[in-house]
Amino acid sequence: MGNRYLEIFCREAEEHLASLQSGLLVLEKNPARTELLHELLRNAHTLKGSARMVGLADISAITHTMEELLKGMEQGLRRVDAETIDLLLKGADAVALITSALMRGVPPELDVERFVAEYERGESGRLLPAEPLEAKVEGAVADTVRADVKTLDNLVNLVGEMIINRKRLEAKLEGLKELCYELPPEKAAPFAAFRGELEEDILYLGFLIQDLHEKTMGLRMLPLKTISDGLERLVRDLSLQLSREVQFEIEGQGIEMDRVLLDGLKPILIHLLTNALSHGIEPPEAREAAGKPRRGSVLLSARHEGNSVLVEVRDDGRGMDPAAIKAAAVTRGVIEAREAEGLTDEEALYLTFRPGFSTAEIVTDISGRGVGMDVVKKNIERVKGNVTLSSETGRFTQVTLQLPLTLSVLDALIITCGGETFAVPATYLQEILKVRRSEITTMGTDEVIKVRGATTPLYSLAGMLGLPARRDAGDAPLPVIVLKHCDQRIACIVESHVGYSEVVVKGLGKQFGNVRYLFGATIMGDGNPALILNVPDLFQPGGGAPRAVLSPEEEEAVRRRPKVLVVDDSITTRTMEQSILAGQGYHVVTAVSGEDAMEKSAADRFDLIISDVEMPGMNGFELTRLLRASETYQDTPIIIVSSLSRDEDKRQAIQAGAQAYIVKGAFDQGLLLETVQMLIG
Amino acid sequence: MATGNDNGYDIRSILNQMREEYWEALSEEESEAKQMLECLVFTLGGERYAFETHFACEVIRIPKLIRVPAVQSLVTGIFNLRGDITAAIDIRPMLGLAQPELGPAGRILVVRGDLFSTGILVEAAHGVQPLDLERFETAVAGLSAERKQFIRGHFNLEEGAVLLLDMEALLAAPELLVGEA
Repeated sequence: MGNRYLEIFCREAEEHLASLQSGLLVLEKNPARTELLHELLRNAHTLKGSARMVGLADISAITHTMEELLKGMEQGLRRVDAETIDLLLKGADAVALITSALMRGVPPELDVERFVAEYERGESGRLLPAEPLEAKVEGAVADTVRADVKTLDNLVNLVGEMIINRKRLEAKLEGLKELCYELPPEKAAPFAAFRGELEEDILYLGFLIQDLHEKTMGLRMLPLKTISDGLERLVRDLSLQLSREVQFEIEGQGIEMDRVLLDGLKPILIHLLTNALSHGIEPPEAREAAGKPRRGSVLLSARHEGNSVLVEVRDDGRGMDPAAIKAAAVTRGVIEAREAEGLTDEEALYLTFRPGFSTAEIVTDISGRGVGMDVVKKNIERVKGNVTLSSETGRFTQVTLQLPLTLSVLDALIITCGGETFAVPATYLQEILKVRRSEITTMGTDEVIKVRGATTPLYSLAGMLGLPARRDAGDAPLPVIVLKHCDQRIACIVESHVGYSEVVVKGLGKQFGNVRYLFGATIMGDGNPALILNVPDLFQPGGGAPRAVLSPEEEEAVRRRPKVLVVDDSITTRTMEQSILAGQGYHVVTAVSGEDAMEKSAADRFDLIISDVEMPGMNGFELTRLLRASETYQDTPIIIVSSLSRDEDKRQAIQAGAQAYIVKGAFDQGLLLETVQMLIG
Repeated sequence: MATGNDNGYDIRSILNQMREEYWEALSEEESEAKQMLECLVFTLGGERYAFETHFACEVIRIPKLIRVPAVQSLVTGIFNLRGDITAAIDIRPMLGLAQPELGPAGRILVVRGDLFSTGILVEAAHGVQPLDLERFETAVAGLSAERKQFIRGHFNLEEGAVLLLDMEALLAAPELLVGEA
């Protein structure tokens, strides 16, 4: 099982099981220490809730029984004796057995169904194999170690430093060559020999670093399969819900990507697949009437292309209708009617990426597609990817995502412009040209050139970045780079291009936030930094004129993005809710307890709060009451998400002031999203 | 954003008050033993300035600075500080000072704040000097309000006045942050 949530769950379960086991053992020795029960109860309860979230009914049933036993002891209805504690330990063993089997992707060595049934009856689990925990521990120690993601990131950074240093050595070697020429011949020969040896050493060092780099990056790479398992489930559930017949296939599950990228990719894929099912694939009857097979097909495929990964989502549904999209875009005021007329069918598809296009329900009815595509585009830009669309009305829709393998090292073209050196990520580069003045024509106020027959706007990169531009005299050919982003192309005049290079991406440090035009910086062979351009920023409306750091519209968009506070002591629940909401463009902040939530809600202003009930310290009801009593949050919507499903609990939640109550057992992302959207849009 | 700023100013006024009390208390004690303040002394806008050494990480010659497009003019550029990209900032306009060109004597003082390290461009650095607190005065006559914000007072030394920068306030100034948070 590679599902990311499952992994998180298993890690969380490990902690709770360890604390259950040690607590139970202490209790066994000192039955009088009933104050331990509360913490044990919380462990069992959190495990139960998290197991429900990820759909592990068996674990949820076992932990439910454990919770009941612990409750009985806490309320004094059951004696704290060796027998009950043994039963509880057996329960913990069984859960450990199941989770470890899940982690290894093998069936558990336990007849789970029978165990659950017997366990519920209070029969000590005689089905359990002897000493499963020790066995598990031994097996795990043998060939794997746990490594902190931070340690891995540090390792990658260090290797990055080594690459930079190798480049510096190579630059020094060049300098040495120059010096060699200036020496008298009798000294030059031994010097040159020495230089040759040094060159070989550096070359070998280079190979080692390259190898080390690949291996280190490999540590952070995970196959697509880690996120695709959950997607199959999503498609299955959605097709049932929407009464569609769908065959879902995944190709290239083994393709590996940086885990940071996979994290970013998941919400995008959820989005695209949801679109494919709810707006692409027609109902079976409609398909038959149109002469298509009843069963629609959705294909998710991944493959390598050069130094990037192509991920495609293709469905054979009703496709995207360019005319309807244009009409909808005009109605929504996204573009002028006259502008729409001039667009080709292909260009029309990309209107769905414009902010403001997808918010209207009517759009989904008319064009069939395009819900939240601007969010998809934003997410793709965040991971330095590119997205292309193709579709034929009534036949198919295909969304292709081009993603880099990793974000820590990029292939880039090094250029100079305005006296500075810049790195342009190769993902966005279409081609390099030499353009003569005579080839430039003007269209309206813009200068344009023909690139492979297509009219392409031409800008001065220095002008766009607000750097001093050199005025070229005469008809000397100008170096031009053609950049692509989605369906758009622009040509930029640069001073010169230096060549391709692998660049190590460095952040600009904490003094810098998100700076327009910049993705980060790298350090060149001479030891000086060079800035890495964030190419999508060059495509923002406004053309070549130097612009303010942040346009008012962008500022507005950032401000409008609703902020949600997710409060839950279980990391599984937190991660799941966060990724569901963040995938929809909400700004999500998490808190691990009621106290933490009070602190965070005071420091910021949230539009919505989602809270668990049972947490260490302040519980969700108390939190809700406190928030209601505060001036800032008296009217803010609060959703309670809990594994407590009794009407009494729901009543308590409403009394405390919550607007909605979602039971974790019935928890699915649709319901949460629906509720959130209903409350804050 | 607006509320954040308000808080910032509130805190700043409280800090200023605390700082004044601190200095007053110090000047009372000073009469007993001669107290010195270890400071890094340098030239800014032709005048001599100083701040306490514990803010300073190092003093370096000005390396090649890479201009950053479309950011405030305060940020002159970035440079490579042993693998860390660091900003070089020209704080002279913040203090209302003239900006004579930085010659061969020009240096970067790398200072460490709570959130980030940054490089302050100065016309010359004169090293670490113990400054006699007895000669310190909190009031500096004829300073504009904007300058007062970042200046705690001055030392009346034989060779001339040295102004003491309020590094804490300076490093907390929102003008120093680049781009959207």
